[in-house]
Amino acid sequence: MSVAGLSPNFKVAFDANSQVFSLAGVIRPRSVDEIADSIAMLRQAIDDVRGVLYVDVKRLIQMNNTAFHAFVRVALDACRARADLRMVIVTSSVVGWTTRMFGHLNQIEPQITVEVYDSTFYPGQSFVEDTSFIPILRTQTKMTWRHERSILPRHGLRPGIAMADVCCGIGDFAVLVQKEFQPARIVALDHSKASLAYAREVATNFGITDIEYTYGDASEMLLEDNQFDFVSCRHSLQIFNERELLLKELYRICKPGGRVYITNEKNSHCLGEPRAQSIQWTYNEVAKLFSHFDMDVELGPKSRRYLADAGFDDILVESFMVTNLDGDPQDFADVITAWENVYAGEMAVRRGDTPEFIERFRQGFRDHIFAALHPKGYAGWPIWVASGRKPT
Amino acid sequence: MDVGNSVPAEAAFEPLLQFEMEMGTFLSEWQHCDHVSTYLARMISHNRTDPVRHSNFFSSALNELLEVSFRGGTSSGQIGLSIYRHGPIERVQITFPCPAEQVPFYREAVQKIDRSDAHARYLDSISTDMAPSRESVLLDLAINFDASIRIEESTSPAVTLIVDLPLEGLVS
Ligand SMILES: C[S@@+](CC[C@H](N)C(=O)[O-])C[C@H]1O[C@@H](n2cnc3c(N)ncnc32)[C@H](O)[C@@H]1O
Repeated sequence: MSVAGLSPNFKVAFDANSQVFSLAGVIRPRSVDEIADSIAMLRQAIDDVRGVLYVDVKRLIQMNNTAFHAFVRVALDACRARADLRMVIVTSSVVGWTTRMFGHLNQIEPQITVEVYDSTFYPGQSFVEDTSFIPILRTQTKMTWRHERSILPRHGLRPGIAMADVCCGIGDFAVLVQKEFQPARIVALDHSKASLAYAREVATNFGITDIEYTYGDASEMLLEDNQFDFVSCRHSLQIFNERELLLKELYRICKPGGRVYITNEKNSHCLGEPRAQSIQWTYNEVAKLFSHFDMDVELGPKSRRYLADAGFDDILVESFMVTNLDGDPQDFADVITAWENVYAGEMAVRRGDTPEFIERFRQGFRDHIFAALHPKGYAGWPIWVASGRKPT
Repeated sequence: MDVGNSVPAEAAFEPLLQFEMEMGTFLSEWQHCDHVSTYLARMISHNRTDPVRHSNFFSSALNELLEVSFRGGTSSGQIGLSIYRHGPIERVQITFPCPAEQVPFYREAVQKIDRSDAHARYLDSISTDMAPSRESVLLDLAINFDASIRIEESTSPAVTLIVDLPLEGLVS
């Protein structure tokens, strides 16, 4: 529900099944009276719950002291009246002040605790946000850019527009887009602090100052609705376990008539000659390994369905193959080496695979490199590009 | 305040923007606090390390200051707002006309922030006040935004709050 007189972005809800009371958007009332309905809803929620009430403020963008005091009052009174009640306030590390403000409550009332939801919030996070991903991303973008620079205009990228690159990784795509297409504004968002630090350094070294790098959760972005003509999200839908949520956010920040552009892989279709069989075995295993961590690196061809289900129209899908013949075959080999290091060296180990399995798993990557560097060899990595228009 | 002493430090603060509005106009609409803080925060944050989050954080703090002026201000004269930057710190200087008899209360609220029991008093205000007092809003800025706050008084009945916000360091 939204409340008259307050920002239309203000939303309050209670889900009795999960015992979650949530506050979202901008809440800056002049007096408590303006939020009386929401306060009443919190009181009702407290009466209804048994055990733990979750107070979800992770999408709370602004809250003034007037609202803070009013809600906190109700929460503290309830804890005093009911020794059985526990309250967990769920904040986000992205909106820094919420964790600080709500964090005090535990000192007043031990029945209230604060959890930062995005400290460990998706299964593959530890690999993906780690610095070990940086070399993978860097070599990958170098290879994919050769293709994408001519593909992007067909999907709506043009000079002078406002764009966002969501899950930007180390930000090199944003830098390349900035140089080639001169958008009026680029926001590049990621949840890896290591990657963002790297991204800012790269941009500085290129003398680029106008990319707005920001730390955020792609499924709960601080960015406002209907802001961007072009929203890209590359190689990332496939690593999300909550794909619909991400697509909803991409849709939300896109302007009506603007386009959302996604790229994804189908890892089992990586190929090479010679040694095709060993290569194929390993990439089939890559797909299984990722699904163990709730990631779907087979997503590429499913992009059309995902975009359609998310409400986009005018959907365009195409695919391209990065190969060892694109440029220096060593670049291709470097990508594979980076994959081997993280997939076999870290992820398979974490899954608890045997040394024999890992050795065979590694062999397929080495064979792929062999094919890439072989004078008569051919090695490929297919990518699916898809975009959809947000209806006007 | 001893102006002579503070000149070298002041000089290091670079002006970013200035904003003025007739107090009568400002007071005509509560939403002005939200709109002005959102808009100015965005303007001054664009070249911060993380512009989106800096702007969100800054808007929070600035809005509280605007709300203090809204609640305590009188409709004659102007509200003036200047924002300066020095390294990781933004300085907000906000001046608004208020009844002369109110001035001592602002002075007192600002003085209390530096006392060692500030944190305890902040917790106390959260757990007992139904609505935030002027003092608890300033304590909120000091405690949650690491702000340092000073007050300047003029001969006309007006208050100037000077609030240094080291948000760049908090955000990134
Ligand atoms: C496979 S990488 C792709 C990076 C980049 N788009 C590229 O193509 O090089 C996935 C990226 O998504 C980021 N990521 C994962 N979950 C995220 C979330 N919830 N919010 C923001 N970024 C996230 C990771 O930190 C990582 O940088």
